[in-house]
Amino acid sequence: MDEINLTINGKKIVCRAGTTVFNAAKENDIRIPSLCHHPHLEPIGACRLCLVEDENGRILASCVTPVSENLSVQTDSPNVRAHRKNIIRLLMANHPESCIVCNKGNRCELRKIASQLGVGTYDLYPMPHYTGFEEANPFIIRDLSKCILCGKCIRADHELVGVGAIDYNQRGFRSRPATVHDRPLEQSSCTFCGSCISICPTGALAVKNVSFAGSPQKEMASICGFCGVGCSLVMGIQDNRIVDVNPSPVENSINQSTLCVRGHFAHDFLSSSQRLTTPLLRKNGELSPATWEEAFAVVTDKLFSIKKKNGPQSIAFFGSSKCSLEENYLFQKIARVILQTNHIDNGGFLTGRSVLNRFQSRLGGMSIGPLKDLEKAEVVLVLGADPTHSLPVLGYHLKRVSKIKGVPIIVADPRRTDLIPFASLWMPLATQTDYYLINGLAALLYHRKAYDAQFVKRFTQGSDEYFKELSAMNLDQISRVTEIEPEGLEKAADLLAGKKIVFVVGHGILQQRNGLEVIDALLNLALMTGSLGQRGTGFYFLTMENNALGAWDMGAVPDFLPGRQSLVDNEIRKYWDRAWKIKISPDPGLNIIKMIEAAEEGNLKAMYIMGENPLRSLPQPGQIRKAFDNLEFLVVQDILDSETVRMADVVLPGAAFSEKAGSFTNLEGRIQSFDPVVSPPGQAKPDWEILSFLGNQMGLPAQYRTIEKIRDEIRELAPLYSQWGKNGNSSWIKEKSDLALFHPDESGESALFSPLVPLKENIRDEDFPFKAILGSWRYHLGSGTRTGSSNRINQMPLSGEIEVSIKDGERLHLLDGDKIRLSSSYGSIERKVKVVRNQKPGLIFVPRAFYENDARNLLPLTTLEAPNSPGFKEINVKIEKT
Amino acid sequence: MTQKEIDWGRLDEIIKRHRDENWALIPLLQDIQEEFGYLPPEFIEPVAEALKLFPSEVQGVITFYAGFSLEPKGRNVIKSCRGTACHVKGSRSILRFIKKELNLEEGETSPDYQFTLETVACLGACFLAPAMMVNRTYFGKLSPPKVKSILAQYSRPKTGESEIK
Repeated sequence: MDEINLTINGKKIVCRAGTTVFNAAKENDIRIPSLCHHPHLEPIGACRLCLVEDENGRILASCVTPVSENLSVQTDSPNVRAHRKNIIRLLMANHPESCIVCNKGNRCELRKIASQLGVGTYDLYPMPHYTGFEEANPFIIRDLSKCILCGKCIRADHELVGVGAIDYNQRGFRSRPATVHDRPLEQSSCTFCGSCISICPTGALAVKNVSFAGSPQKEMASICGFCGVGCSLVMGIQDNRIVDVNPSPVENSINQSTLCVRGHFAHDFLSSSQRLTTPLLRKNGELSPATWEEAFAVVTDKLFSIKKKNGPQSIAFFGSSKCSLEENYLFQKIARVILQTNHIDNGGFLTGRSVLNRFQSRLGGMSIGPLKDLEKAEVVLVLGADPTHSLPVLGYHLKRVSKIKGVPIIVADPRRTDLIPFASLWMPLATQTDYYLINGLAALLYHRKAYDAQFVKRFTQGSDEYFKELSAMNLDQISRVTEIEPEGLEKAADLLAGKKIVFVVGHGILQQRNGLEVIDALLNLALMTGSLGQRGTGFYFLTMENNALGAWDMGAVPDFLPGRQSLVDNEIRKYWDRAWKIKISPDPGLNIIKMIEAAEEGNLKAMYIMGENPLRSLPQPGQIRKAFDNLEFLVVQDILDSETVRMADVVLPGAAFSEKAGSFTNLEGRIQSFDPVVSPPGQAKPDWEILSFLGNQMGLPAQYRTIEKIRDEIRELAPLYSQWGKNGNSSWIKEKSDLALFHPDESGESALFSPLVPLKENIRDEDFPFKAILGSWRYHLGSGTRTGSSNRINQMPLSGEIEVSIKDGERLHLLDGDKIRLSSSYGSIERKVKVVRNQKPGLIFVPRAFYENDARNLLPLTTLEAPNSPGFKEINVKIEKT
Repeated sequence: MTQKEIDWGRLDEIIKRHRDENWALIPLLQDIQEEFGYLPPEFIEPVAEALKLFPSEVQGVITFYAGFSLEPKGRNVIKSCRGTACHVKGSRSILRFIKKELNLEEGETSPDYQFTLETVACLGACFLAPAMMVNRTYFGKLSPPKVKSILAQYSRPKTGESEIK
């Protein structure tokens, strides 16, 4: 690496060639003031405050001046200070004098630099530039009279978030960041991620609907508790209330100065009036407040008496993909050790765990890497995923690698998602035909001999059979089934030929009827192209919930023990028998769907639900209600009042992630621990404390007075988590696979190709001619229990319109805003309709989470494996105008 | 005269000519303006989509350059020079005269789309001061009578010339 010698303020410095004077100074602890510089953004030299002076008296903007050999600069000479003062004076003359009431408060960088330079009065004719805005959105206030044109919001929007809602408009004195046609934000492409607010150095951009104005008393780090990305946050606290949320400034955070609308604005749900603040007991049919002692006593007595009377198989535990690792570990330990039941599951079931299971069992590990590795990819194949809505920060990563790194992205999705403008190729395939598409692409690569034959030879077995099947494949037929023109397939093959692939797999696959078969096909393609075992290759799965992976890893599932170890493996069971000093039943327990069925049949007598709202998230609430009515005893431990809470016999008020210590495993396999930011409301307690107390009372031998004790036990017993906490706050799960391709010395087993299989017959029904896709909408997460309690989200005028194609709209005489009834053979919903271009005729999109997540009524309550299951993603429907 | 319906087919043709070029945006916008007389705001989105840019970026470029206009201009664009030399030679009164004659303020377009009045900092024809430009033709050494006759010359459509593009 080339090195450059330069002198800053008389100090000799050696730095890397290509860096800027500003960065070289920063690395040597010489601070240069700046308003437009940000480490995550490309420098543009807009504010000119970072001026430095060279030996000849030339003034240079250091943020855009590359270092050169023997350069010598002064960063704080009288000349430089005089220039800086003048710039600040000019900015202030153009700035309203509203510091006293400005929400930016002490965090205003303009004010900070002005005071550092001692500019109190600017002695210039004031030239305020007033621009008023009428905006109806509940998230962002733009007061562009305070704008200093640093361009940070624009650059964050373009370079980090990749939405492009705003850019400079006009020039000179009239120049301002503006949307297209200068419309209000809610009429633009703005996604309200709020990244611009956090990055704005002044009060030009601010959060709307705040409960407190000014700088909060203190700021504390946390991890976002919404989706599987796990963004690092800083929460501003005032009087034990969270008043402000911003992306964390830590280096190497997954979100790098960005957040999404949920992470930035929906955290006001934490102070919702729906929060549970005291334990409740059902007395004479009514839930009434009780003490913790009473509640614990009832839970213990009831569970023990039911176990004694009906056996351990009559009790089930439903853990949470939103609760922490520690909590899920304790939860399943109470279930397995004290109540001796394997009937444990968590909310991650619905979002595709059985498909992930298949992946795990074939590879021996999920082998995911940091999202940052997407940059190293040769080509990215995105399947059944719209991260711009479901996991927005993952979407930003994809947009960045496409736009900035130039990595080709292929998107296979029936719908035109917001990712398409960034894609090299969009394959609008027919729904649930991913299996044929992937095999078709594999066949094309095989015909062209454009795959990694070396890799196949070294690390795999069964390729002969697989290639024979590929060579016999009829591509015309594939084209017919998938509705992708042969040229489209060829173009995809051009992009994939000879490349190692990164697969980004979303709920279109994970919740699909043929999800398991698609995963097999994808693995075959990955093995054939050598797209495993190296950085910049492999799979990323969109895990919907913050700790979906972690809840599984902690054994809050019917068939795995902590550390993602199979329950049916005798050796593993023996290991845990010894560790816990019990005898674990070798029979896997019931998953959540089977639990409901068992309760309906009367075989399940008691259920303990922690941090889940199955009445809102699972299909067919009527059926679930009946099942819960059948139970003798239902405990619900949660943070928000919900449909499920209202059916409980005992309600235990838990704490949200910001009110307790804990850890989440995100979709990368990154374990992130956090500390409480505020204390829980009322008498609510951190869930791990509730479980630790309950476990203690029920006779769990180990005592967990601190959370560290739970972590120690997990670290000791589960090899997957042995590295936890070894590397500060952010550590990685340690996966072990027997496959040679993951071992540098190539020792181990060969990976197997799986044979091609015929798929379940596509269900066609004349009565239900349309195919409805159920998907997420960025303002809500999952079924929307938490985001639905956010005032800001509720104030956004969203009606969750059903999207139909132009052709179908014309045929059925539908106009935007018309009310329609959408019915499947399982149920129906009524909503407004929106006619959208670029949608395939016959295809309908239904956003989830709206109206108490009514979309779930369209689906049946079955597992993916059930013979006639339509999956959780797509269903045949009909449309009626109402 | 009302504004004409927008011809999307002609836009597609222009886009097709430029979509695979490097740095195609400004030449593309120039061609559109040449063809339509201005840049209809409805074109921002399709142009952005074709060039894989954000619509806000396209708008930013259009509003940055004085040479691009998002509003329809008159058939005859008058650029009255306000440079120093012209100023000394009395361009202020020339401008005042044009304003009065056309009943237009700076930047305005007449309701019949015959004239648009603009001012420019310098036409680079100081030796002809005071000067103005009508469309692409220079007129110098102006006096009120001369301006009057020039304006009269442009007031009626010339025979053989097509309607406003």
